[in-house]
Amino acid sequence: MGNRFSIICGMLVMALACSSLASGQTTSPAPTAFDPHDLSGIWWGRLARGVNSSLGPTAPPMTAWAQEKYNAAKPGLGRGARAQPLGNDPMMICDPMGFPRIMFWTNYPYEILQLRDRVVVFFDWFYTYRTIWTDGRELEADPDLRWYGNSVGRWDGNTFVVRSNGFDDRTWLDADGHPHSDEMRLEERYQRVSADTIEVTMTLTDQKAYTKPWVSDKITLTRAEPNIRMREDVCVPSAEQRYKELIRNPAGGAPKNVK
Amino acid sequence: MKRRSRLAVVVSAIIVLLGFGISLKAHHGSRVSYDLTKTVTLKGTIKEVQYVNPHVYFLFEVKDAQGHVTEWGAETDPPIMLERRYGWSKKFLKTGDAVTVTLWPSKVGAPRGFLAKLVTADGKVLDHQEQPQQ
Repeated sequence: MGNRFSIICGMLVMALACSSLASGQTTSPAPTAFDPHDLSGIWWGRLARGVNSSLGPTAPPMTAWAQEKYNAAKPGLGRGARAQPLGNDPMMICDPMGFPRIMFWTNYPYEILQLRDRVVVFFDWFYTYRTIWTDGRELEADPDLRWYGNSVGRWDGNTFVVRSNGFDDRTWLDADGHPHSDEMRLEERYQRVSADTIEVTMTLTDQKAYTKPWVSDKITLTRAEPNIRMREDVCVPSAEQRYKELIRNPAGGAPKNVK
Repeated sequence: MKRRSRLAVVVSAIIVLLGFGISLKAHHGSRVSYDLTKTVTLKGTIKEVQYVNPHVYFLFEVKDAQGHVTEWGAETDPPIMLERRYGWSKKFLKTGDAVTVTLWPSKVGAPRGFLAKLVTADGKVLDHQEQPQQ
């Protein structure tokens, strides 16, 4: 199977190369113009590791506090090595995913709206949003904790820089159960690099949980196809509970008295 | 122009094949509850359909040669994925439909599985070529 696939790909790549040589001209279309300060639109976060995506494949060393939380986390979704049928992932009871994890849940689009004094990012999954204030305010030193944090943004040249704090520490960072504390701070850097692409990197600093900052891999957002609309993909606790009783628990071998 | 169109087709084919190859190679262990190395195929009648997030699932009754009925359950992707990848909708399946269901079965032997293929009596097919992600 793998060999046949490789042969087909090889033939196609050769055909592509031959076609270019034969034409003797550049065949790529002219790039579509775009405003580098415009991030608006509906985007996919198509990340290589799908729902197992995180800031990067390897977290920085955890503190003892974080290690204890990580050990208690029992991932139940995705293809990670720690996944087990009856996990305790907060998403499995429809608790909010929080930020940044919701960016890594790649089956659903997000929509960015730029307003005069703020940028609003809607997430189709959970049908929720975060607000990034751009009116010049500073982050509060001790804000109320929020699932999606408290955020301010400003343009640094063509890079939109977002700083956030005040994250509710009940959320996981990823499907593998990496924790964070309420002291977590995030810096995200967005660059519109083409009409159809935004590149994002983020740096997580959380001295209570990690011994050094966690700098993410580059996250690529791809413009959604014109027919894609935001839906209303809500995780409904009562529906999830019924699914758990009828499907997940019996499939995973849970005792009958487990609800 | 013709040459450019042909080139676009070739490039698209490469992209599609590469994307398809990556998705096939990925070991989607979710559904760590299911044995992704084998499938079982059953004929039955739909008892209940739940077209909900984050898992669409349905229950169906399967009668054996002695007339004993077993209630099976099958789960699949969320609605957004079914609609985008397979053109499914809420109307695809309803209570009382006769179906042939192929599943990746539960590892513990429960009558549950992740949907690999569904064929309805009137010929509608959902062929889930990818193993489960979540």
